[in-house]
Amino acid sequence: MSEQAKISLRKAQTRRGKIKFYMTLIILSALYIIAILNTSFSISGSQASPLDTLRRIFIVPITQVDYIVQFPEYIGYMLETIAIAFAGVVVATILAIPVAFLAARNISKKFSYLGKALLNAIRAIPELIFAIIFVAAVGIGPYAGVLAISINSIGMLGKLYAEVIESIDLSTVDAIRASGGNRLQAIWYGVLPQVLPEFSSYSIYRFEIDVRASTVLGIVGAGGIGAPLILATYQRNWEDVGMILIVVVLFVSLIDFISGKIRKKLV
Amino acid sequence: MSLVYPNGHQGLKDINLTINDGEFVVVVGMSGAGKSSLIRSINRMVTPTDGELLLDGENVLTFKERKLRQLRTNVGMVFQSYNLVKRMSVLRNVMAGRLGHTGTLRSMLGLFSQDDLQLAMNNLKRVGIEEKAYVRADQLSGGQQQRVSIARVLTQQPKVILADEPVASLDPPTSHRVMKDLRRISKEDNLTTLVNLHFIDMAMEYADRIIGLRDGQVVFDGPISEVSEATFEEIYGRPIKDDDLLGGDEE
Repeated sequence: MSEQAKISLRKAQTRRGKIKFYMTLIILSALYIIAILNTSFSISGSQASPLDTLRRIFIVPITQVDYIVQFPEYIGYMLETIAIAFAGVVVATILAIPVAFLAARNISKKFSYLGKALLNAIRAIPELIFAIIFVAAVGIGPYAGVLAISINSIGMLGKLYAEVIESIDLSTVDAIRASGGNRLQAIWYGVLPQVLPEFSSYSIYRFEIDVRASTVLGIVGAGGIGAPLILATYQRNWEDVGMILIVVVLFVSLIDFISGKIRKKLV
Repeated sequence: MSLVYPNGHQGLKDINLTINDGEFVVVVGMSGAGKSSLIRSINRMVTPTDGELLLDGENVLTFKERKLRQLRTNVGMVFQSYNLVKRMSVLRNVMAGRLGHTGTLRSMLGLFSQDDLQLAMNNLKRVGIEEKAYVRADQLSGGQQQRVSIARVLTQQPKVILADEPVASLDPPTSHRVMKDLRRISKEDNLTTLVNLHFIDMAMEYADRIIGLRDGQVVFDGPISEVSEATFEEIYGRPIKDDDLLGGDEE
């Protein structure tokens, strides 16, 4: 027994492996140094002391009655933000399903590239850009936000849905095709029941993301709590900024918590 | 009739068979002998590359989408792995067999006629699991799941049943029970039935007629009365071993 060679968990490294490792290390370090040099750190102080600003953001809003009474008003804005996210994700969920089937390799075969290309194109554009475009197209307000959110969510949901579809057991489709059902029936009865729980789970997850995303959309005029937030920062009203952030953090945490619970039940 | 797969593998070679109405035919042969290819050719799950396949005088090899669906409505199929939607209830799975008879929109909305639902329930009764109608399919044992898939095929009201290794995933007693159900029902409804099996004793017990395949060719075709152990040695191309027997019939 004692003569057994020692076994290490990792495969013994070859000379080549070591050289590769150090080369990678050197290249990454070099990239990091270049990146740092290019960002040129400097602090151009302002009249307001940072400590005072922090106090105005985090302490004053919860200690002074003047600001506490604003809490319900911001909840109204936050609810609008959540409504934008919800409307957007509902539209996206419905529209993403056909696109996902088009993009799934096991359903659409060659045509899946078409669907995948469409989804990639959507995901390449940030939702803020979509929001700017839709604000220009349909005017300032939550409607533009809903459109931006839904288009952007289709990109992600479509891709995730397509992956779910690609991972399913197609034997049920065979069975329905073999009993004389048409393509649509095979998908409806053979595929959808298998994928719907995952679809819902991803939609709820995307709703979480969309609540956060639509907070920002107000900045470009697409409705919700982002509008008062950007206004308050421009005016250096740090107390208002603080209060808005409290509302946002509260609601986002609450939604993350609830959606986590629901998703655990679903899958 | 012949079948060459796209990868050049010759699945079936010069098959010439006539299956009679109401016959219970068992197709035997080793893995890769072409049993599945033969069975799947009949409802065009695979398409033979050469020859013709006549069903009630019509060559199914020329069928396009519409006729093909009509054909498949008349030819039911039972699969080795049951192919049920595990997250759906048993009754919904059985109703899936009715899709070929139901309009697309109606079926998508779940608007099946009461007659169809009665038919489905009745078929579940015939395979002895009507009390499981609203249970999710994945809650059932393998034998029960295979019986659901038989009920599904019956709900399709076919003239022909194709069963591709229906008991290969089941234990011996369950296998016998499923085969008995299948044979009883096929006799009651006078359904022409083709079953793939690789266990010799099962084939002997349930078949009216045996077709032996080897390397994609028919090497034996005859009624059960003409079959002996020598026949199987001929089909398998080697002496019979214990592995070829399933055993385990409890009755």
